[in-house]
Amino acid sequence: MIFKAFHWLHKAGILGMNRRNADYIMRCNPRSAFPLVDDKVVTKHLAEGHRIPTPPLYHVIEHHGDIVKVEKTLSDLHEFVVKPARGAGGSGIILVIGSTTEGFVKKSGEVISWVDLSYHMSDILSGIYSLEGIEDRVLIESLVHADPVFDAVTYSGVPDIRIVVYRGVPMMGMVRLPTRASDGKANLHRGAIGVGIEMSQGTTLTGVHHSGIVTHHPDTGKPVSGMQVPHWESMLLMAARAFDMTNLGYIGADMVIDQERGPLLLELNARPGLQIQIANQAGLLSRLQLVDKAPSDIFATPESRVAWARQAFVFL
Amino acid sequence: MKRPAILVAVALFLLSLALIGYRIIWLGYPIFPAAPGKAWQLTMDAHVKGGENEITVMIGLPYTHGGEVVVEERIRSGSLNFNLLREGQNQVGVWSGVVSDRGEAIGYRSIIHMRPRRPLKVKPPDLEPYPEAVENAEKALAKRLVSNWNRLSPPARLRAIAATVTGAWGTPPPEAQDLRQWSTFQQQHGRLPALLLLLRAAGLPARTVQGLRLVESVTTNLLTWVEVWNGQEWEKLQPETGEIYRKPAQLLPLAIGKVPAMRILKGELSEIRWVLSQQTISQWRIHFERIMRSDHFLDRWSLFRLPPEFQRTFRILLLVPIGALMIVALRNLVGFPTFGIFMPVLMALAFRNTGLAYGLGIFGGVVFIGYFVRRWVDRLRLLLVSRLSVILTLVIACITIFALVGNKLGIRQFMAVGLLPFVILTMIIERFFVIMEEAGIREGLWTAAGTAAVATITHEIIHLEPLQLTFFVYPELLFAVAALQVLLGRYAGYRLSELIRFRRFRSPS
Repeated sequence: MIFKAFHWLHKAGILGMNRRNADYIMRCNPRSAFPLVDDKVVTKHLAEGHRIPTPPLYHVIEHHGDIVKVEKTLSDLHEFVVKPARGAGGSGIILVIGSTTEGFVKKSGEVISWVDLSYHMSDILSGIYSLEGIEDRVLIESLVHADPVFDAVTYSGVPDIRIVVYRGVPMMGMVRLPTRASDGKANLHRGAIGVGIEMSQGTTLTGVHHSGIVTHHPDTGKPVSGMQVPHWESMLLMAARAFDMTNLGYIGADMVIDQERGPLLLELNARPGLQIQIANQAGLLSRLQLVDKAPSDIFATPESRVAWARQAFVFL
Repeated sequence: MKRPAILVAVALFLLSLALIGYRIIWLGYPIFPAAPGKAWQLTMDAHVKGGENEITVMIGLPYTHGGEVVVEERIRSGSLNFNLLREGQNQVGVWSGVVSDRGEAIGYRSIIHMRPRRPLKVKPPDLEPYPEAVENAEKALAKRLVSNWNRLSPPARLRAIAATVTGAWGTPPPEAQDLRQWSTFQQQHGRLPALLLLLRAAGLPARTVQGLRLVESVTTNLLTWVEVWNGQEWEKLQPETGEIYRKPAQLLPLAIGKVPAMRILKGELSEIRWVLSQQTISQWRIHFERIMRSDHFLDRWSLFRLPPEFQRTFRILLLVPIGALMIVALRNLVGFPTFGIFMPVLMALAFRNTGLAYGLGIFGGVVFIGYFVRRWVDRLRLLLVSRLSVILTLVIACITIFALVGNKLGIRQFMAVGLLPFVILTMIIERFFVIMEEAGIREGLWTAAGTAAVATITHEIIHLEPLQLTFFVYPELLFAVAALQVLLGRYAGYRLSELIRFRRFRSPS
C-alpha cells in the first residue's frame, strides 16, 4: 500500500524533503556560498553588480549605539521597512508608512513609539530573529508599493513571487498572497496562499492554502487563477541571474513587484520549500531531471536558460 | 555519489560482524549474552580433623568440560594450604597442612552452568584390560553370558546388559548353572564390579563416575554411576537398578574413572556436605569471570575490565547511538518533527532518575508553565541571553517547587531530577514558544508530541537490559549502528509524512 503510494508520488515527479536535501541542496549548494544568501545586506550588494534590482537600501545598523543616531533620519523618511538581515520566515519585519508625534505608523495602522521601535531594532541586533541566534544587523530599506495587479486577491501586506532555480534554469514559480490569517505576511506556513504560475506565459494557476487546494482567496473571495503576472520574463531572468551571482545550484528567489520600480529581488533562499509543487500541481523532480538531460548549450546565458525553461516546462 | 556511502556502511557492518564472529567462534562468547541461563550453585563444606602429622585431603571438584562451565570458584581453606590439581579428566582440590585439635573447616563454592546442547568432540576411549583380580574362569563366564548379544549394536548391547542388573537375561536365557555362578560372583564382589565385568566382556568401554544428581539438595554421600561408551558418546547407567539415565543426564561428575572423589591421608574427614541450589543468571555472568581471567587481546580490552561503578554508565552510553538512529529514522523516514535534533535523547537520559511517567509529567508541567511565562516575558523585550536566563531561573524554580511538593507528598521521583534537564527544559520552552508563534498551535503541539514520543522510545531502548548487555559484551555493535546511520543518511526517498502532504498527487489522475 505504502510502496504503491510512494510509486505514485515518484510517477508524479514529486520532490521529497530527503531527496531535495541529499541530491540537490547538498550537491549543488556549496557551504561556502551560504553566507551570500543568509545575510540580506550581502545579497543586496551582490545583486547590484549583476543588474538585479532590489529595494533601495537606506541604512544598515550594526551596533546598539547607532540606533539613537537614526531617529531623525527615520522620521524624515516617512516610509521605510525595518528588517533583520539574517531573519527567516518574515519574522521581525516592520513596515512603516508614516510618522506622527507619538511615533511611527505601521502598515496595519497601529502606532509604534520610537522607544518600541528602537527596542525592536535592539532585539534584531542581539539576534532574536536570526536563524542561529547569532548577532545580526538591522536593514532599513524603502517600502515597496505593490503593483495593483494582485490587489483583489491580497489581504493587506505585499504579495511576493517565488521562483525556484536549478543550475540557473527557472524551474517553477508561485505567487504568495497574504491572508488575514498570515497577518499580511507572504509566508505559506503562516497561512498565506501560494498560487502556481504557468512557466511560459506567466498566468496564475490554482492556489494552495495550508495543504489544501483553493481557487478563491479566503478573505477577498476573488478567484486566484488566470491572472497575468506582470514582468514575468524579467523576473525569470532575475531568478536565472541569481545563480550566476551566488553560484548556488538550487535556490528560491523571492521577488516583489513595485508599481514604479517593477520587479525587485527581496532575498534568496538556499533551502526553498516543497509546497510550491502543490500550488503548481506539478512535481519538481521531473523538471529537475529534464534540466540534467538538457543540452549543455542552453546553460550559456541567463537568457538562453529562461528561453529553454519557458518552452520545456509547458506540459510538465 | 551514492557508492562511497554504501561502501562505508558495508565496511562498518562487516567490521562489526567480523569482531562479533571472532568473539563467538574463537573466544566462545554467547550469541545471546542476555539470555537467561540455568545455573547451579554448588557448595561443599567439610570438617577435617588430624593429629600432629600433616594431613592431606583431596576432593574431586567440578571442572569445565564440554558439558559444563564452572565459574566464580571460591575456596575456604582456613589454616591449610590449598592447591588445585588436574588428574586425568578430573580437577582435584588438595587441602594440606597441620590442623589444630579443634579441626578445620574447609569449603568450596562455585557456579556451574550446564551446556547440554554443546556438541562434544570426545575421542573414543580404548577398551581397558580386565582388572587383575578377575580370574580367567570368571572372564570366560562373563563372555558366555553376553555371547547372545555379540551381534547387537553397542547401544542395544548396553541396554541388554543393563537389564541383567534386575535379573532379566532375555531369551533364550543362559544356562542355569552359569547364572548360579554369576550370582555367587555378584555376592562376592558386589554388583558394580560384576556389571563392569559384563560390559568389558561385551567389549564396551566403561568407567565409574562419582558425582551429584543435579537437583536442589543437601547430600552427604556422592552418587556413583557407570558411564558406558556406546560408540558415539558416554551413556550413563545407574548400577543398582540398571536404569539408563535419560539425556540430558542431570548429573554433575566430580571424579571420573578410577580416582575416588575423596581421599584423606593421615586425617579424618567428617561432616562433608554438598549443597546444590539452582540459580537463574544471565549468560554474561558466566563469561564475566572467564573474560576477567583471559589473556586474549579482546578480553583484556573488554568493558568488563572497567571498575564496576563506571560500567553502569557505559551500559547506557552504548545505547545512546541507537536513540540517535531512532531519531534519524523518525525524522527522515517518517517525517516526525522534534524540538532540536538530539533533544529527545537528552530527555530520555534525564528520565533515568525519575522514570518515564514522572519524567514526562515533570517536563510537560514545566514546559506548560514555561510557555505562559515566556509569552509574558516576550512583552518585556529582553535580549536573547537574559531572556534565556530568566527562563532558566524559572525552570530551576519549578523543579525546586516540584521537589518540595514531592517531599510533602512523599513522591521521591519529584525530587530525583538530576542536573541535566534544566538546560534541555530551557531550550525546549524557547523552541516551543518560537514554533507556537511562527507556525501555529497545531505545529507546536505536534512537535511537542513528536519530541515526547521519541524521548519515550529512546528511554525504553536504553533501558532494555538485554540490549544493554548485548552492547556491553559486543561494543563493536556500534559499528553496525553507524552503518545503519550512514545508510539512512543516504535515503533520498519520500517520507511517510509526505504521503499525506502530497496526497493530491497519489491518485493516477
